[in-house]
Amino acid sequence: MAPATKTFQVTIRNSGQTIACAADRTILQAAVAAGVDYPYACATGNCATCISKLENGKVSLLPHADAALGKAQLKSGLTLACRARPRSDVTINWLARRAS
Amino acid sequence: MPIQVDVAARRARACKAFMAQVHSTTAKEGITPSTLHALKLKLVALAKRSDLFPLADFAMPQAHGRSHPLLVEEDDGHGLYLSISLPGKEAAPHDHGIWCANAAISGRERHVFYRRTDDGKKVGSAEIVKVGEVVIEPGTGMVMADHDIHSTVVIGDRPAVGLALYGYALARFPSVTWFHPEFTSVRATPSRRHAA
Repeated sequence: MAPATKTFQVTIRNSGQTIACAADRTILQAAVAAGVDYPYACATGNCATCISKLENGKVSLLPHADAALGKAQLKSGLTLACRARPRSDVTINWLARRAS
Repeated sequence: MPIQVDVAARRARACKAFMAQVHSTTAKEGITPSTLHALKLKLVALAKRSDLFPLADFAMPQAHGRSHPLLVEEDDGHGLYLSISLPGKEAAPHDHGIWCANAAISGRERHVFYRRTDDGKKVGSAEIVKVGEVVIEPGTGMVMADHDIHSTVVIGDRPAVGLALYGYALARFPSVTWFHPEFTSVRATPSRRHAA
């Protein structure tokens, strides 16, 4: 039997909700599934609509475009919710950009 | 000893000549399935001239995907780019509102094409079905009309390097509509038509 995927707690500062997110899901996938109105558009690391401040915790990032999240932004603690998979419990705060 | 013609200068000349061909083709007939096909063939021919596009001349992505402008026209003109995408780099199904053509220099990228099946009346919701698929690799390319929907993913273990011609420059793109079958949702990024 395959081992169960680890699940982490993700606190979304803007909505004040804490949701469960499996380690093989992105924070955006978990948020949308939980009914959180997280801003997003491409959901594949191209547009930066879901760009967020990672306030606490660790994530791993799926492939994304330079234009969506640059090295300096990454260094300053920004992340893309659509590409970020939790590696610990996480607190995250989306920035202002909202898709229509 | 013959003078070595600088690659960058040769590349610039080739891109300029290519764009002149593009305008010559579309000026006669406009943007039609036939002219788009012709543009694809011209772009594939340009991409085959790999000596013009040595990777050393183009920075690799810091993350996983980067576009280098080769020839970007003013105002409502076209944009020609060299794009580098690393394995796994993807884009969800989207309609970027303007025609485009792609041709590979190296590596492989899968494009899947879709058709929207809902009536668009429910805001934020959409359904799409797959209607086709093509893998772009050296010697091949693809073309899309203004509102065609495609997704992309780099396959294999090598970067996909290719040429991309868009009806508008990336900095002047219309709103891009993104479809998410997993969420049965549709979202749009703002138009850049008046931003550049």
